This record gives sequence, structure tokens and C-alpha cells, in this order.
Amino acid sequence: MSPRRGFALAETDLRSFDRSEAAHCHVQRPDRYRLLEALPSDVPRISRGSGVSYVGASFASDCVVQDLAAFDRLLDFDGERGLLSVEAGARIGDVARFALAQGWLLPVVPGHPRASVGGCIAADVHGKNPARDGTFRAHVEAIEVFDPHSGWLQLDRNRNAERFHACFAGFGIPGLISKATLRLVPAPGGYSLRGVAVAGLVEAREVLLAHAGAPLLYGWHDGRAGRFGRGVIRFGLESKEPVATPARRPGDLPASIKPWPLCAWNRSGIAAMNRLIAHRHGPGQMHVAVEAAMFPLNDARAYFAGFGAEGFMEAQWLLPHASYAEFVASLEGEVARQRPRISLIASKLFDGQAHGLGFDGKGIALAIQLPQPKARVQAAFIAALTELALLHGGRPNLIKDSSLQAEAAQRGIADFAACRARLRAFDPQQLHASMLTRRLGL
Amino acid sequence: MTAIVVGASSGLGRALALELAGKGKPLLLIASDARDLDAMASDLRLRFKVTIATLAMDLAASADPGARILASLADLPPASILLLAVGMSRSDDDGTLGAVAIGQLLAINLHAPIAITQALLPALLESRGTIVGIGSIAGTRGRSRNIVYAAAKRGLETFFQSLRHRHLPSSLRVQFYRLGFLRSNLTFGLKLPLPVAEPADVARKVVAHLQRGSFARYEPRWWGMIALLVRSLPWFAFRRMRD
Repeated sequence: MSPRRGFALAETDLRSFDRSEAAHCHVQRPDRYRLLEALPSDVPRISRGSGVSYVGASFASDCVVQDLAAFDRLLDFDGERGLLSVEAGARIGDVARFALAQGWLLPVVPGHPRASVGGCIAADVHGKNPARDGTFRAHVEAIEVFDPHSGWLQLDRNRNAERFHACFAGFGIPGLISKATLRLVPAPGGYSLRGVAVAGLVEAREVLLAHAGAPLLYGWHDGRAGRFGRGVIRFGLESKEPVATPARRPGDLPASIKPWPLCAWNRSGIAAMNRLIAHRHGPGQMHVAVEAAMFPLNDARAYFAGFGAEGFMEAQWLLPHASYAEFVASLEGEVARQRPRISLIASKLFDGQAHGLGFDGKGIALAIQLPQPKARVQAAFIAALTELALLHGGRPNLIKDSSLQAEAAQRGIADFAACRARLRAFDPQQLHASMLTRRLGL
Repeated sequence: MTAIVVGASSGLGRALALELAGKGKPLLLIASDARDLDAMASDLRLRFKVTIATLAMDLAASADPGARILASLADLPPASILLLAVGMSRSDDDGTLGAVAIGQLLAINLHAPIAITQALLPALLESRGTIVGIGSIAGTRGRSRNIVYAAAKRGLETFFQSLRHRHLPSSLRVQFYRLGFLRSNLTFGLKLPLPVAEPADVARKVVAHLQRGSFARYEPRWWGMIALLVRSLPWFAFRRMRD
């Protein structure tokens, strides 16, 4: 593909945040609207926000990557109704900070503050308590997309409603998301954050259900054999008294983190990290500023660097309540048998409705992170985990798991084929494609 | 006092607008596409609560861009800063361009900055203001690439020399920056032999120096040494510099 007049292309290597997927790509970095339009309508493309998806959702080797970093502006703010319009490249941390300064809160934000608003829509991300706040789609009023053939389209629940809904967990297929209007809620002064120790993942479910209405609700667990599932459920309640953001707040987690030369998460490293988590985030109560509670990953730079050049993978599965205990028992048995290195397990409660290819439903979501996913023992465990989750009716999170193949995704999402057909109806020429969409056969 | 940024929608112009808005300056932003200007103006108003006006104008097609700018200033505080961050280059500017393409390059890189300066000169003299022109390292010595672009930038530098000479006794500040490689849409994807400056860094320096008299300088400053070297090369060596 050669550079054409009207836009510049650079050749560069792009890599997913988990370092599992990589490609040599042609990248366009438009900074004006006419340059977004300049790409010939028959050229395959995929839009890229900050490139912080765990998987290769924003690049592929045989299409033009349209980097939207320059489209990061605030467009309108209605302080009466709490409506904020932004360009799709706006980073969620910047948007959240602007909203907080006006006394408003975006209830659903992903862990990485550099995720773009367009990326949050395309992945339909969830936040700190999806059971209470749903996923990102619940807080978006309107979207503008650019379709190579139809041009600029305004979407909301009444206009072009089908395409509007398809944009959420649409992975960029329904068009390039250029703008969005977000619905905010009044911000609390801070959070009173408490930790409850749990002895296992089944007990974790009980604690999660008991605090379903808390604005912050998630668990961190040990994944080692013998200590499997031990951890802490953290829940935060809104505090009326303002909690100031610390003067020396950590900077936003970088979009790309330079890995350490060696993987730190061997058995000793994982043991040390679990002790640190238990020490720093164990039972007890503390008051935290809203921003700090929204982006706990800002403190996790060393954690991600510690995976080394071979990276990591995260498998996230939503298990129905009915089969959850049985799944946990089977998983614990598999961990005892294979003894994989699991760096962390995170738990969350979901109480929504599955839409399309999105990650929602009713049950408990477990996110399991492993270093060196291509190592023999690790890969064997990941395969066993996938099979176990599918056997117990688990639903995979497509935007997290770079090991997931099309066959598993089709088994895990009952109406996968129908969802794919609905998405591709907006893109019959399959112009919008990424490593993720190719891997899953979307 | 209003600052006028010509070429405000991208690269250095956008960075200058952001820097000036951060200092609370009322701004008139000028670029070719109203969509880009509207987005910038909204963003700067929301973030910095400053007065922003915009003017969408195709400099290549405007015979008298200065008149339109003067009209747009009617509802703003008097103009005191003019930043001409406008520029356009083409990858096929290698001596094969037709008349229309040559005219477009000259209009944007040379005619428009001169015409705008001339139109705003009385107002800037009255406000004892600052005019900032942006040149390019490409204008140091003519090569087989960027032929028309380099000629236009060299012409613009000459115009700024004349302007400075003409208004030397007055308090009008005439500043001219010869930029090295700058991270922008013009340089994106190019394999460049020397480091690329960030527009935000250059903008910070330009704004910090607005009150510091008249001058012409390289930015980053070390490009002055490169330019000296390029100018000093004997012809037999210079003619071999193709990349």
C-alpha cells in the first residue's frame, strides 16, 4: 500500500497491551476532519484510540490504522442536564477529570485512564460495579460515525437506532466513531472504601451479592494452588464529605509500558505480590478521592512491566449464578492439578442483559491474568480454563482475551452468528477489520 | 488583547492556540475547515473559559484574506499578536508541479502571510504588538525536493527581514522562526535523519518570547548549526545531498 496524496501513512509495529498480538501496520494520524475523509472508500481500515485494549482491537497488518489521538476535544457541556459531548479520541481520564471539576461523574470507566471514549463504546466496557451501573452503553446518549460510503451519520436511540446499538461491542465494524455525547451523574465527594476478606471465590460471590448496590464493588484474589480464591472484596460507598485528590497523585498509566527484561511473576514474585495486595488492600476502611477510585491501575505500572517482553493474557468469563460454585470447584481442581502461574484473579458482579457480542448478563465475572501465556503449562491451563468456562455456560469477554479463538467465542455467545450478521450488515464489504475481528471471524 | 492564529487547526498552530488559551488570551482562530475550528473553539472555551472567535477561510482561494480577518476582529478586543503558523507542502514538489499547484503553494506559504500581515499592520502598530512568522529549514538552501515550498519560505523570510527593517524604530516586534523538523501531518511517516520537535514544546517557547523584541532564529536552536553547515558545504558536496 503506497502513501497517497491527502494523507500520510507511516509504517510501524503495533502491539496489544497484553503484548500477545502484534502486527506491522500502515498508520494514518489525521488531525483534521478532511483527512479522516481522505482515505479512499475502498481501503480497509480500523480506527484506533489510545491502543490500550488488551487484544489487537485497533490494528491489523493489511488495513490502514486511523489513529484518532488528535480528535480528543471537548465539544459541549450542558451543566444543567449533565450531558458532555466529546470527540472519540478523548481519553476517558481527561473526560472524567473535566466532569469531576464541574461536579459530575461518568459512572462507567475502564481501569486504564488513557482508553479513548470511542474505544469504550466499541468495546462496551464495564466499570467498577456493572451490576449497579451497567456497561458504557447505558451512559451514551448519541454517537457520530463516519462510514466510508454513507458519510457522517448521527446516531441515537431514535435516529439510526440499529447502528447506534451496534456500535457498542461492535469493535469498530459499524463505522469510525468520531463523537459521542455522554450522560453524567452528580459526583460524590469521595468514597468510603472498605475491604472484606474472603476465603474463596464462592464466599466472594456472597459478599458481592450482599453489596450489590455499592458504586464500587470488585474483588482481588490469589490464584495459587492451596490459597486459591483467598482475597478481598472491596466495596465503596459514596461519601458526602469531599475527599481531596492527593497533591502527588500518580500520573496516568502510560498507553505502552516498557517491559522489564525478565518476567517478575514467577512463583516467588506472585507470592510477594499477593502479600503486598493483602497488606495494602486488605480488610479495613479508608477514604479515597473519586479520581483515585476510578483508576486504580495508575498504581499498577510495575505490575504490568513485570510481565516482561512475553506479556500476559487475561481470560475474563461471566459465569451464571447457577453454575458458578461448580465452576469454581472445577477450576480450583484444575489449578491444583496443573499448577499454572496466575498473577491475579479479579471478581465482579453482573446483573444486566447480554447485548450482541458485549460482556454483560447475570452472574459473577472472573478475570484471570497469567504471565507468559505461550509457555507450555500456561497455555495448557488457558485451554482447560476455556473449556471449563464453556462447559459451565460462561460468556467470554472478547475485548480482553487474546487467546480466544472463533470456535470458543461462538460456543460462549449463543447468538454469535446472528450478532456477526447484524454487524456486517453495516459493513458488507468488510472494510473495518482488526486482528480481533479476524481472529474471531467477525 | 486578541491573538490571531492563522493555520490554527493542526500542528504548531493548534499548539499555539492551546498555549495562548491557557494564558487566558482572547483568540481569533483561522483555518480552512469550519469543523476543525468549531471543535477547537469549543474545547478551548470549555477548558480555559476564554473568548474564541473563528474564521473558516481557504487561503489558497482568497484574494484578500486580510480584509476578512479585519472584519472578524470587529467584536473582539484589539489585535496585539499575529501568529502565521500556516504552511503547506507536497510530496510531489520536485520540479514537476503544474501552474495551479505552484499557485496554491505560493498562495498559502507566501502570499497569504504577507497579505494578512499588511492588512493587520496598522492595528498591530497601534497596539505595539507582535508578528510571528514561521519559516522552515527547507529555505536554507535550495534542493531538488520541496522546491516551490522552500522558495516560498525563503521569500517569506525576506519579507520578514524587510518588515523588521522598516519598523525597526517602532515598538512593533517582528519575530521569525526557522523551524527544523516538527511532528505534524507534514512529517508523519517520513524517515527523517534528525530528531523531530514536538509542536507543544515549540509553541511554549514562541509564546514565552512574544514580548522579547524582534529576532530571527532557528527552533530548536541547534538547527542553526545544521543550517550553517549546509550553507557552508561546497557545491560538489552539497549536490550529492539527495535525502
